[in-house]
Formats: sequence, C-alpha cells, structure tokens
Amino acid sequence: MADEFEDFLSKALAAPERQPDREFVQRVQVQVRLDEHLRAQRSLVWRGLGVQIIGIAALAIGALWILRSPAVSAFAVESPAILLLALLGAFSLVILLFSSYEPGADLVKRTSSR
Amino acid sequence: MAERNDEDLALSRRVAVGDSAAFAMLVEKHERPLRAFLARMGAADVADDIAQEAFLKAWRAAGQYDGSARYSTWLTSIAWRCRLDELRRRPRVTEIEMDAAETGLDEVNDMLARLSEGERASLLLCEGHGWTHSEAASMLGMPLGTLKSTVARAKTKCRDLWSGAQNG
Repeated sequence: MADEFEDFLSKALAAPERQPDREFVQRVQVQVRLDEHLRAQRSLVWRGLGVQIIGIAALAIGALWILRSPAVSAFAVESPAILLLALLGAFSLVILLFSSYEPGADLVKRTSSR
Repeated sequence: MAERNDEDLALSRRVAVGDSAAFAMLVEKHERPLRAFLARMGAADVADDIAQEAFLKAWRAAGQYDGSARYSTWLTSIAWRCRLDELRRRPRVTEIEMDAAETGLDEVNDMLARLSEGERASLLLCEGHGWTHSEAASMLGMPLGTLKSTVARAKTKCRDLWSGAQNG
C-alpha cells in the first residue's frame, strides 16, 4: 500500500515530459530586451539630468562672478532695466538650450530603426 | 549532473556580460520543470507570469550566480520568492485550478489544495521533482529539519486522503 502510494505520488507530482516551449522562451526574450531598453533609457535620463544640473550651476556661478565685477556693478546702478533685460535674455537662451536636449532621443531612434 | 551545471555556469557567465542568446538557452533548459512546479503551486496563468518574472530576475542577477549550487536550485529559489511576493500582492493565487483534461490530476490537485503553501512546495520539490532535502531547504529558505518534518507531514496528509479515496 505504502509503495503504491509513493509510486502514485512521484508520478503525479513529476513535471510532465515535453519539448521546450519556444513561445515561452521568446516571451522571456522580449521581456529581457524591454528591460534592457528601459534600463538604458533610465541611465540616459539620469545622465542628462546630471549634465543639466552641472550646466545650470556653472551658468549661475558665471553670472554671479560677472555681476560682482566693479564695471558691471556700476552699469547695473546706472541702467538696471538693461541689465535685467540681458539677464532675462540669457535665462531664455538657457531654457531653450536645455528644453531642446532629449537624453533618450538617440536610444529611441536606434531601437525603432531595428 | 556536474557537467550539466558546468554548462549552466558557463552560460550564466555569458549572460552576466549581456549575452541574450546564452540566456535563451538557459530558459529553454529550465522552463519546463520550473513552470510545472509553479503551475502545481497555483493557477496556471499566474504560474507563467511568475516564471517570466523569475527568469527576468535571473537575467538581472546573472552576475551573482557563482555555481556553488545547481543553476536550477538558484532559479527555483528566485521563483519561490516571486511566488511569495505574488501571494502577498494577491492572496487568491493559492487556489489550484483543476484541469479536467488531465486524467487523475483532479485527485492530486485536491490533495495539494488541502496542504499549506510550504507543505505543497516541499512535497512537490522532494517527491515530484527529485530534489534532495537540503537542496529543497535551500530553495525555500527553510532549515533542513523544518523541511524534513514539513515533507513528512504533507506526505501523511496526502496518504490519508489517498487511502480514503481508495477505500471509499
């Protein structure tokens, strides 16, 4: 009885014999490719963000350094409106420059052309 | 068996450097027992999702596989953790689907459905898939003694149910 039961149990619980499921393998491959793509895109976004932060910090330091020079300070006192306009112009240029930068654009182009 | 694991280790090392063809070979080799185990643990559709998630995690963590255990042991332990995560997210997946097309499986499914999650997993791995107690304990993250007593308890429960069905 016990042997019969052991026999029944091992047969009933064993993984059924069959050929490898290629469709399943392909599904996993697709998921892996997608995962790789997302990981690459995430790292590009982080890198882009880092570049932008460093760029903005460098510009801010540069602007402060220029504003601290005596000639610019004197000009600011004489014609503050022109200086404000110049600053606004520079700020707009910075915004335009960074908004046109898309960190994942190359990757998307490369993936879609495959 | 050692040769097979050497082959798996070599493939896994290739996977660690991003070789997706090597990974496809590993998936092809190990999907059958892994999916069979997961399907017996819960509903078949969820089982395939969990198997996919386990393979994806194995892909990401390929560099961590050092060959000290069989690749299938390592993979099954990943799948077991995925299964536990799934249970935490959706407790309903413990329900075992009956497959009427497969003769004799209703009785087995009925037996398995009466076991706890740990009992079912221990019994399946040791009695159905032929893993040693220590390998199964490592896969399920259980102390060896606990696993042995869990398997014995599960077998006793199944034997009682089976005897009842034979006599009734």
